[in-house]
Amino acid sequence: MGVEQLIESGLLQPFCGGVLESAAHPAVAVNPKSLDVKVANGVSARLVLLYTTSSQSVVNIDIDRDASLDIVAIYAADSYVSVSVNQSEGSVCKTMSALVSSSNVTYNYALNGVGAESVFNAVFVVEGREHSTLNLNTRHLTSDCKSCSLVKGVSAGNSTGEFHGLVYVAPDAQRTDAQQQSRNIELDNSRIISLPQLEIYADDVKCSHGSTVGYSDAEALFYMRQRGLSLAAARRLQIEGFINDVVSRCDMEGICSVLHDAVTAKLERL
Amino acid sequence: MLDICGVLFTYYNRLFGEKLLFLRDFRIMKENSQDIIDSLESREYQYGYTTDIETHTLPKGLNEGIIRAISQRKGEPEWMLEMRLKAFRHWQTMKLPKWAHLDIPEIDFQDIIYYAEPKQRKKLNSVDEIDPELKRTFDKLGIPLEEQMALAGVAVDAVMDSVSVKTTFRETLAEKGIIFCSISEAIREYPELVRKYLGSVVSYADNFYSALNAAVFSDGSFCYIPKGVRYPMELSTYFRINAQGTGQFERTLIVADEGSYVSYLEGCTAPQRDENQLHAAVVEIVVEKDAEVKYSTVQNWYPGDKEGKGGIYNFVTKRGICRENARLSWTQVETGSAITWKYPSCILAGDNSVGEFYSVAMTNNYQQADTGTKMIHLGRNTRSRIVSKGISAGFSQNSYRGLVKIAAKADNARNYSQCDSLLIGDKCGAHTFPHIDSANRTAMLEHEATTSKISEEQLFYCNQRGISTEDAVGLIVNGYAKEVIAKLPMEFAVEAQKLLAISLEGSVG
Amino acid sequence: MLKITDLHASVGDKEILKGINLEVKAGEVHAIMGPNGSGKSTLASVIAGNEKFTVTSGSVTFEGEDLLSLPIEDRARKGLFLGFQYPVEIPGVSMANFMKIAVAEQRKYKGLEPLSPAEFLKLMREKSAIVELDSKLTSRAVNEGFSGGEKKKNEIFQMAMLDPKLSILDETDSGLDIDALRVVATGVTRLKRADNATVVITHYQRLLDYIVPDYVHVLYKGRIIYSGDKSLALKLEKEGYDWLINDYKE
Repeated sequence: MGVEQLIESGLLQPFCGGVLESAAHPAVAVNPKSLDVKVANGVSARLVLLYTTSSQSVVNIDIDRDASLDIVAIYAADSYVSVSVNQSEGSVCKTMSALVSSSNVTYNYALNGVGAESVFNAVFVVEGREHSTLNLNTRHLTSDCKSCSLVKGVSAGNSTGEFHGLVYVAPDAQRTDAQQQSRNIELDNSRIISLPQLEIYADDVKCSHGSTVGYSDAEALFYMRQRGLSLAAARRLQIEGFINDVVSRCDMEGICSVLHDAVTAKLERL
Repeated sequence: MLDICGVLFTYYNRLFGEKLLFLRDFRIMKENSQDIIDSLESREYQYGYTTDIETHTLPKGLNEGIIRAISQRKGEPEWMLEMRLKAFRHWQTMKLPKWAHLDIPEIDFQDIIYYAEPKQRKKLNSVDEIDPELKRTFDKLGIPLEEQMALAGVAVDAVMDSVSVKTTFRETLAEKGIIFCSISEAIREYPELVRKYLGSVVSYADNFYSALNAAVFSDGSFCYIPKGVRYPMELSTYFRINAQGTGQFERTLIVADEGSYVSYLEGCTAPQRDENQLHAAVVEIVVEKDAEVKYSTVQNWYPGDKEGKGGIYNFVTKRGICRENARLSWTQVETGSAITWKYPSCILAGDNSVGEFYSVAMTNNYQQADTGTKMIHLGRNTRSRIVSKGISAGFSQNSYRGLVKIAAKADNARNYSQCDSLLIGDKCGAHTFPHIDSANRTAMLEHEATTSKISEEQLFYCNQRGISTEDAVGLIVNGYAKEVIAKLPMEFAVEAQKLLAISLEGSVG
Repeated sequence: MLKITDLHASVGDKEILKGINLEVKAGEVHAIMGPNGSGKSTLASVIAGNEKFTVTSGSVTFEGEDLLSLPIEDRARKGLFLGFQYPVEIPGVSMANFMKIAVAEQRKYKGLEPLSPAEFLKLMREKSAIVELDSKLTSRAVNEGFSGGEKKKNEIFQMAMLDPKLSILDETDSGLDIDALRVVATGVTRLKRADNATVVITHYQRLLDYIVPDYVHVLYKGRIIYSGDKSLALKLEKEGYDWLINDYKE
């Protein structure tokens, strides 16, 4: 089912900003120029951001105390987007992003309240002459916050995929737990740029990041070929699996299939 | 083998005036708590003294006249002067680099003396002829120029301020065709070699400080290892900044010709000063086909006092180029200097060449360090490995900054990077700024980094066994840095281990 | 069915197999035993075509055809199955999808029509029942987050799906508790027919209580130093290898 049908059938609620209440179905904003979102105290809400035409967009989100927000964002057309999320005490924000176009997307998470948590998952798939940049700034501004991010990218053709990540831990933001992973597969004549950075001013922290480029698990290839898959099929499956590993973490009903289809369609073009 | 053990043992005994019994079995990395305790007891900067040697200096400031004067004093050929002037003219168009995670006070480049030369009575032919005052300085530094050097198998080109004073083992080296002398001497005596390689790896236009260095470099070392010569001993240079208000602009050029091997040591101590001193060195290494160079540094220049007053500004450009099958390995232990800006790098130009970078950088009090490496993969099947261990204490800021670049034609390039940071105290900062840029699909790059503090469990465990917290921290930090220190030649490993403990003093509450 | 003649193989400069001779006929069960590091897993890997190893001399034929010149996947499609000692995790690739592709590739190779989705699902249900594999596992990523027992059951499930002529089971019993061992071993015996053959690599007699071997071989330092019937396994269980390998120690 396409997004239009999902909206028509009521599975997605159109949304142009304001306070998000706990609702039966996720709120969806399609190509918003600017969007201000507030999630009230203790509420669990869901938000879908869809970019289907070339757009510039600024999204500001405030998540109140003990509230939670699930975000799914799909960048299907060339877009220049900034999403800023301000998190209060005990709030949780889970983001799932897919960049399947030439886009420049910046996420800023400010963990302002004690015990706030951010879970960030993203994929980018670029081909041809596309150039995609994902900026992720996670700022731990107070103690006992947690962030975990995983970004996977596949580049093909003559494309470029960039990831700029920063975990910032403010002075006195003790007991911070911040993990950031960037994994990339490079095909053809493409280019991958990855800057996973840490800036840390507190000592009682558990912070780590990792970044890899290239993916050829010889053992996995052997295993798959032993079961009769050709080398090309095994490689292809590996790439699909590589991306699906992230996409399959989406648990927002209705929109997951849209996300999955968008990514699969893109992978098939590689 | 036993004989050598004994000889080295004697050497270390003299070097540190302590009973380093654990050296007997060569297990220098073994944590020896007594050793660390001893070091921690010496509260003040160990090497904080100056020597009274009459110094010949040029006036403060920088202009073409000063550069001409430097060149003239050194008796340089015309082409060298031209190189300097070209660099100077370019430097005047350049701006200070601001991208590092450093807070650098304004530097007045006209308020610096660019040339100072310790006065010497005559040309020296033997160790005995060295100025006794100078010799005492070296002795205090723990660099015995005489038989200890022979015992330890180290040939030393000791640099006092800006002019090479003494080179040992010149004759032995000459037998193998190895040239190891001051760069000024090399410019005079081996102009064709110097001209071929000088500036070939680090061009004067590379950055602000490399331009400044190319314009005003006073002295430094030149080393040439001929084809196929594998030199079994370590070549060593000790630098020492001496004259007050003198910037030191060392220039080092190492050329390892085809199939040769050399291990080169650079160690530095500087006397305590209240005002900041600028140091902008350039090290260039050319590693020809099938050759291998190991370059090791222990840097413990004056870091400033507990309030962050004084200390050396260390802005260094170090880079090597590797031809086919060549290998270049950088190992550094950085505990000194108020500000460090340093990225020993490898250009892996030849197929199958290998670059390595092993680093321990420790900052305490108000020190700042922004250090790391660049691995530029241009050739096929090139490999690089980065192991960086940062330790921040006090109010210091310690950053790792690294670039791994895979060019489009560098098929099957591999890189592995491990960057760990250890925080001691909650007022310091530890930062990691890697930059990975790959344009070849066959590349396999892996970067990992962690940041943590010393675990409470480890400290508790040590305390429970009767080890004080300060000693425990010393032990744990040395264990943490072990992987890097193990890469150092023996002569340096002991010193490095002690330095880590000394530099930590007062950091544990 | 399988004939190995004077097979030498090495990894890097190190020779691991130093002249293996072995013949396996249809309907037979062979057990290969031997101390750690004797080359058992290497032999299995080399037969399957793992590129980590280099065959330096000797030959391996499968139903009269040279096996060593075939790529890994063609060996598999001809009916050679290797049950891995450490089954590999493939994140993001579901078991169901993985098997769908594997079965389709094999059928294509044999010139058979692809299975309809309904037929495939039916096959999956049937075969997973053989090893009591939780049907939920087939929707999870290949081996990811599987327990040790689940991984081994999953290997036998895949063996059932692909219906090989020759199965080499590399320490399929390692890391299994008694119940899982029974399930896995029973699964293997149920797949046993007169036209297929099994080679089990194991350290322990207990697996052979279920999968009764016709021949037992002892591999030591890259050679088969002794062969016997099932009683040899019992003797080894009781007396260890020392009585056999003393003559071969250097």
